[in-house]
Amino acid sequence: MSNVAIEVEDLRRAYGGQPVLRGLSFTVHTGEIFGLAGANGAGKTTTVEILQGLRRRDGGRVEVLGLDPDRDRSRLRPLLGAQLQASALPDRLRVGEALRLFARLADDRVDWRTLAEQWRLGPLLRKPFGTLSGGQRQRLFLALALVNQPRLVFLDELTQGLDPAARQETWRLVEQARDQGATVVLVSHDLDEAERLCDRVAVLADGALLACGRPVDLTGAAGTVTVQFAAPSAVALAGLVDLPGVAEVGYDGEAASVVVAPSAVVPLAAELDRRGLRPADFTVRRASLSDTVVALLTGDHR
Amino acid sequence: MTITVPTSEPTKTGRSARTSGRAAKLGALALTETRLLTRDWTLLVFAFLFPPFTMLVLAGVFGSDPDDGFAMRRPDDYYVAASTGVSVIALALIGLPVALASYRERGVLRRFEAFGISTARVVAAQAAVTWGLILLAVALVLAVAAPTYGIPAFEHPWQVLLGFVAGSGTLVLLGVAIGLAVPTARAAQAIGLMTFFPLYLLGGGGPPRTVMTSTMRSISDALPSVIPAIVDPWIGIAPVGDHLIALAAWAAVALAAILWLTRRPRS
Repeated sequence: MSNVAIEVEDLRRAYGGQPVLRGLSFTVHTGEIFGLAGANGAGKTTTVEILQGLRRRDGGRVEVLGLDPDRDRSRLRPLLGAQLQASALPDRLRVGEALRLFARLADDRVDWRTLAEQWRLGPLLRKPFGTLSGGQRQRLFLALALVNQPRLVFLDELTQGLDPAARQETWRLVEQARDQGATVVLVSHDLDEAERLCDRVAVLADGALLACGRPVDLTGAAGTVTVQFAAPSAVALAGLVDLPGVAEVGYDGEAASVVVAPSAVVPLAAELDRRGLRPADFTVRRASLSDTVVALLTGDHR
Repeated sequence: MTITVPTSEPTKTGRSARTSGRAAKLGALALTETRLLTRDWTLLVFAFLFPPFTMLVLAGVFGSDPDDGFAMRRPDDYYVAASTGVSVIALALIGLPVALASYRERGVLRRFEAFGISTARVVAAQAAVTWGLILLAVALVLAVAAPTYGIPAFEHPWQVLLGFVAGSGTLVLLGVAIGLAVPTARAAQAIGLMTFFPLYLLGGGGPPRTVMTSTMRSISDALPSVIPAIVDPWIGIAPVGDHLIALAAWAAVALAAILWLTRRPRS
């Protein structure tokens, strides 16, 4: 089996003459959780809809599990699972009925009762969809996305509107889906979620690829860390910005915040020591994916 | 996890298996739709109680003596026959469009589509369920009529059947077209009610068409009037053929709209 689940090359799409995707290219490997991240309107949902064959592309090449979503739509569909953004089920449909119906529509490849137990939906089987909490709905949607034993699952804004506990649980379930053998494409505007969950992330901005790689590599590519410590005055920090590897020195009246190259942390600490400053709260914070993307977007990438 | 990817052209056996598989899936969808519709109490009350109730009242008010206003037929016979058409209008033009529009509004159709279940298949399931409920509602009207006013004899049974099939088929097509065309369930409900009352009143569900002014009668003739298509051949007022042209024209318009709405290129 090929190691590539999705291959996208120079993908283009416009709405009413307004470009939404501008030559997007990326590859998703089999068995990984791949994140499509970016601000609202960056083109994430359009991209996954094209990948599923729900929307046509204007140009470029797309291969999903070796098939073209436009040409081979009917062959591709049984291999995909999907949690679509802003889609629901009828309010009066009970959980058990939804599972049974979708299992039937998927040729009963999976026993819906087993699936219900696996996703802890057993106690909810008789509950109508309209009465489920946000977390319970997402659990059901995940189970439905996997009811046809898909090779590839698209999850679009899965944790939007969930409380922190439900979010954590949903993340665990996504990892469980990956561990069961599915390749997962996770669409999220929440970069912390993408960093926490994804093996690799493609960051989109204005329909183009801003960055793509492992979260740790992307944040490392930013090349800086932030050192924070309490300082008595701005005067005590004078001249620090001239040290090699120091990019920026900030002071808010109580604490200093110094942006430095990782290799400059120890010399900075030594310089503080030389000046008689030995702060007990000296902390080094690696940039988060969110920091990195903001830096990339604002052109503040050092 | 083992997934079988079809790699070759289907054999004849494969094709027939696929056809029976599609039928089973349509059956599963229809069963679910039936369950959901039977939980919609507003629709059930309107579609199942309103027609027998108005029949009991109107037939009781006008009595059983042949009357000039009813083309010298018994008014109670007229209203028993007419009430079967009222059930058709209620289910096809209120129940069906609201259910479909709500699916579209809430992304249920997209969810099915992402699962490989086309909108056409969901529509087919809902239309089939609506038709089943229409038969049930008509049976209920006749069940209420039998011990009270009696079921009138069929003057032209085949024409009545033709009128019922053509009329209910046309209204189901119109219901589907409305459900696919409007953006929200609320809009579908508003349009459904706005079409229900003209078809009910101008179709002869209230005052019979024979007492209408010529203008109102002309308007009634141009509408997809299921009630006279059933009543006229049933109690021998007129042959069904008079109504088939208007019904066929409306069915063609509805079908064209449905095809356009479901086959629009995905934007």
